[in-house]
Amino acid sequence: MSFESANEVPPIIETHALTRDFKKTRAVDSLDLSIRPGELFGLVGPDGAGKTTTLRLLAGLLNITSGSAKVAGYDLARQPEAIKRKIGYMAQQFNLYGELSVLENLSFFADLYDVEVSELRERTERLLAFAGLTEFKDRRAAQLSGGMQKKLALACTLIHQPEILLLDEPTTGVDPISRREFWDILTDLNLAGTTIVVSTPYMDEADRCLRVGLMYEGRMVVCADPQQIRARIEGELIELRPDDWQAACALIESLPGVLEVQTYGNLLHVLVDSADKRLPEIETALRKHGLTYRGVRRVTPRMEEAFISLIRRLEVD
Amino acid sequence: MSFRHLRAVIRKEINHILRDRTTFVLVMLVPTAMLFIMAYALTVDIKHVPIAVLDYDRSPTSRAFIQQVTEGEDLDLYAQVDSLDDIDNLLTRGEIKAALIIAPDFEHDLLSLRGIPLQIIVDGTEPKSGGFAVDHIGGRAEEFISEALASRIRALNVNVSLDSLQPIDLRVRALYNPSLKPRVDIIPGLISMVLGFPALSVALTLAHEREHGTLEQVLVTPVGRAEFLLGKMIPYIIVGLANVIIMPAIARVTFHIPFNGSFPLFFLLSAVFLFAILSMGMLVGVFMPTQPAALALSFLVIFFPGFFMTGIFFPIASMPAEMRMEAMSLPGTHYATITRGVFLPGVGLDVLWPNVLALLGMGIAFTAVAALSFRKKLG
Repeated sequence: MSFESANEVPPIIETHALTRDFKKTRAVDSLDLSIRPGELFGLVGPDGAGKTTTLRLLAGLLNITSGSAKVAGYDLARQPEAIKRKIGYMAQQFNLYGELSVLENLSFFADLYDVEVSELRERTERLLAFAGLTEFKDRRAAQLSGGMQKKLALACTLIHQPEILLLDEPTTGVDPISRREFWDILTDLNLAGTTIVVSTPYMDEADRCLRVGLMYEGRMVVCADPQQIRARIEGELIELRPDDWQAACALIESLPGVLEVQTYGNLLHVLVDSADKRLPEIETALRKHGLTYRGVRRVTPRMEEAFISLIRRLEVD
Repeated sequence: MSFRHLRAVIRKEINHILRDRTTFVLVMLVPTAMLFIMAYALTVDIKHVPIAVLDYDRSPTSRAFIQQVTEGEDLDLYAQVDSLDDIDNLLTRGEIKAALIIAPDFEHDLLSLRGIPLQIIVDGTEPKSGGFAVDHIGGRAEEFISEALASRIRALNVNVSLDSLQPIDLRVRALYNPSLKPRVDIIPGLISMVLGFPALSVALTLAHEREHGTLEQVLVTPVGRAEFLLGKMIPYIIVGLANVIIMPAIARVTFHIPFNGSFPLFFLLSAVFLFAILSMGMLVGVFMPTQPAALALSFLVIFFPGFFMTGIFFPIASMPAEMRMEAMSLPGTHYATITRGVFLPGVGLDVLWPNVLALLGMGIAFTAVAALSFRKKLG
């Protein structure tokens, strides 16, 4: 075992106390991150936690305030241009040329990345097919749907077959079907060996990652695989749908053994020390106060509950 | 410098110019429209200036004088008034631009060779019309007096020639623009100003990419800074050169401006000018984060100086020394010299080489500063 770990491949992305300040805020604060080749790494955290800044730093788009980082074996501060040939970066908003066609956008980036002319045709066709854009290849990028634009953007970042993909909320504003298709593509790429760092506001997407890093106020507060993160949630989870959720929420929070109540619309998720013990107590209390409810059941915690619970604890501190 | 990168950026930018309607109009149609509008507006001949006359003399001579002054299309006799108050009234209401006051002894003084007392009141808020009226009345008065004197001398039967009363005989000959028509002088200068539009577009296009995020996507590629900036500039030089063909044609056909020099030389020198002014625009684009900011700075450093300091409207020789220095550091100044030189006297490189060198120097300097200041970073 120890022999194997000694032989382990070095990380493809490694940061030490990576820090970036903007005028008034510290967007990324002493970030230590180590990502292995072939990993699918998810970055989650509330808006303004520093996810976008982290990805932009790794893409060489921002100067480092302090700390250091190595990407694909190159020093981020000193060799950003060498890194650029190894990475594909996709920003959160649509960043391609709207007045150019799908094909023109692809060949523009192929030229800038010096893709071998002999391989260009085959690679373009494969990417178009892979992104489902073959029949739209002459359409202007501005006239594509949101989902197709994202896939085109991904195709453009893949044109030079990068070792590392940095994706900033690639599925925000995309319909659920396109979102699923997009993640199927990402999974295929990852299986083919591409290292992917992806930020996402969706917890089901975070669940598909090999490891997830939770950022909060510029710091990486948790970095583990999804199971471990779910396991960090204390206690067990009960779900119920009261008719007067505000009153029910206030009541349940005051009961013994209740650790936390999370609301999803009028659905309540109650974290308790022991579901078997507390479930009857909660039902009794609700009935006693004349609060009606439906669909009470025990559920397994998801990333979503874990995430909210972790953020809440951070906010209290 | 990778030719492939450069070509990719050029091709992309040309597609942008041709497909983005705003850009197309700004670089292709606006310069021509500007040339037309400004050429017409700036060269309007002053005519039909309304004046009032207060004639205290009321003699046949004074009536003949008024008749002579208001003859033709230059000055219109708006009213004959009886008092200074009337003149004041008409001037404040803007109905007249000037007033002529003839003294009570006009006829008597003239006939007794004592000179003629005249007063002209002008509306100082419109110095152009007022000045025109003064010049015109002065000129007509001189003619009138000469004639009156001549006939008086003849009547007196004295043996004096009229010439001896006018010792200076000055004859002016204007070369290259014999009739001294302002349009002939202004239009070649205007062309140099109007070509500032491609420069403005370059400044805007960089800010446009920054605003739309496309710059972010380009910055993560291995494209070189100079490749990117030159690739963006070259298409606008091409577009500017299209204007360089169109505009002298308009100048010749519509405004009958003679073109005495060599067109290939003019074309070549225009390309050098475009390189200089576009690198200035690029410099603006590199430093300004948004399109409104780029627009404002372009007006400040490209258009306003181009208007007032390049000698198109105000001669550089009459500027204070430090302004003269500034004027010489603007591409427009040198190009105005080139256009006027090539259009009117038809001079060649033997005369214009210092201007060409200056333009080349500016282009290289501005491009270098732009490329060095342009960081492949956001914020």
